[in-house]
Amino acid sequence: MAPPDGPESGAIHITQEDVRRLCEFLYRRTGMSFDDNKRYYIDRRVVERIAVTGSLSFQSYFALLRSDTEHEIEQLVNAFTVNETYFYREDHQLRCMTSHLLSDLLPRKQRGDSIRIWSIPCSTGEEPYSIALWLMENWREVDNHNIEIVASDIDTRALKAAAEGIYGARALMRLSSDVIDRYFARIEGGQVQIDPGLRESIQFTRANLIDAQDMARYRDFDIVFCRNVLIYFDDASRRAAAENLYDCLRPGGYICLGHSETMSRISPLFSVRRFPEAIVYQRPEAKHDES
Amino acid sequence: MPFIKRTATTPPKSKEDHGISAPETSGLQNPDPEVRWSTARTLGGVASAVPALAAALEKERTPRVREALMTALMRTGNNDSVLVLIPYLRSQDAGLRVAAIEALQALPEAIMPFMTQLLSDNDSDVRILATELARNMPAKEATRVLCNLLETESHSNVCGAAIEVLAEVGTRDALPTLKTCAERFSNIPFLSFAVATTIARIAGTES
Repeated sequence: MAPPDGPESGAIHITQEDVRRLCEFLYRRTGMSFDDNKRYYIDRRVVERIAVTGSLSFQSYFALLRSDTEHEIEQLVNAFTVNETYFYREDHQLRCMTSHLLSDLLPRKQRGDSIRIWSIPCSTGEEPYSIALWLMENWREVDNHNIEIVASDIDTRALKAAAEGIYGARALMRLSSDVIDRYFARIEGGQVQIDPGLRESIQFTRANLIDAQDMARYRDFDIVFCRNVLIYFDDASRRAAAENLYDCLRPGGYICLGHSETMSRISPLFSVRRFPEAIVYQRPEAKHDES
Repeated sequence: MPFIKRTATTPPKSKEDHGISAPETSGLQNPDPEVRWSTARTLGGVASAVPALAAALEKERTPRVREALMTALMRTGNNDSVLVLIPYLRSQDAGLRVAAIEALQALPEAIMPFMTQLLSDNDSDVRILATELARNMPAKEATRVLCNLLETESHSNVCGAAIEVLAEVGTRDALPTLKTCAERFSNIPFLSFAVATTIARIAGTES
């Protein structure tokens, strides 16, 4: 088999067996799965990472990957995934929220109870603002309920940017011009700033997913969006994070993970729920919890 | 706008939020599983709590609390916690066996001193599970312990398990042992096939 093309490829040769070995490792470690028809896609990214890490062969790169030196698993996963954040990213989960999750949760609520939604990690705010926008644009019952949106991240610089709510055109690429016109104001430098009312309505806080004490401040959420972060943790940290998230949810509450993540590989604490739009995970109801 | 904001993230008071100090382990014996769960979750990484976690794991019947006890031992990750987890490889409870494997796999350095003993255990099921523990070890060390096993192992299923792990982690050093193994078990087609696949993987990797 010919080596893959590309300026970084050099003399590194990746065989079919190398790819299988790598894919099996990646699947076991992250749950990411690639078909044989993705061969070219895989080769290119692996060859790039081999070049960047200065590895002399696939074997030495694979050893580096397995030892996770310099967080190489994270780097490779980043190379395989679209890592930029933007409004309405993975909107199938937002659609699932308004089509199924909320209608499932509402009958359990007492009159006056608020709906609590958590975005963690929220990065620079695109996700929590997307949740708010989606609810206002797509959920008929939005005005009949009190909705709390909390947005947390470990990175205080990201939180500051999130609270400011200033974005470039690229972050808005999935939004209609109508939505942009109604919720964003043009500011200097070709950027836009999200509506002050929306900025004020979301609570931005610092939180560390794997710190049980830190996470004890967060409870009673109905839906948690925790996307594209657990994949980067080691096994022990992932389990600790899953247990923390369990405590943060109300019984029957839902957690949405990123498209390349699966809770089933991390912890048996949650039930898998398959909806037409998305697979999400549910904290079992209390009565089923202690079997 | 329908959105409201609480003034603080402080949740409604509940018992797990009162904060059990790290070495406080008495909650592990509480009849309320919620207290046992939250106590276990405060003890991850606390070396002095390992004996209490071990005693609790022995008696615990609530799956969720068992998971938290396992995670706490995993997060501590020292020799003592490995010694607590190893006996669960023999558990009749499949859930506990799997949980022990997952916890031990996450501790590749801590498990290393115990591998020789585990891979020569009298129980072939324990030897099979032990091969899985090599998966997260450094390639050179994993190859060494699995090849040592393959050189003397008589149980074909144990060999099959070791060969399967070598397909992922093995280095070229494993090739002679794999060839000898294939010859020893030439009458067992699945082992010959597994060896051929593994050799192709390792040789392919290093060609």
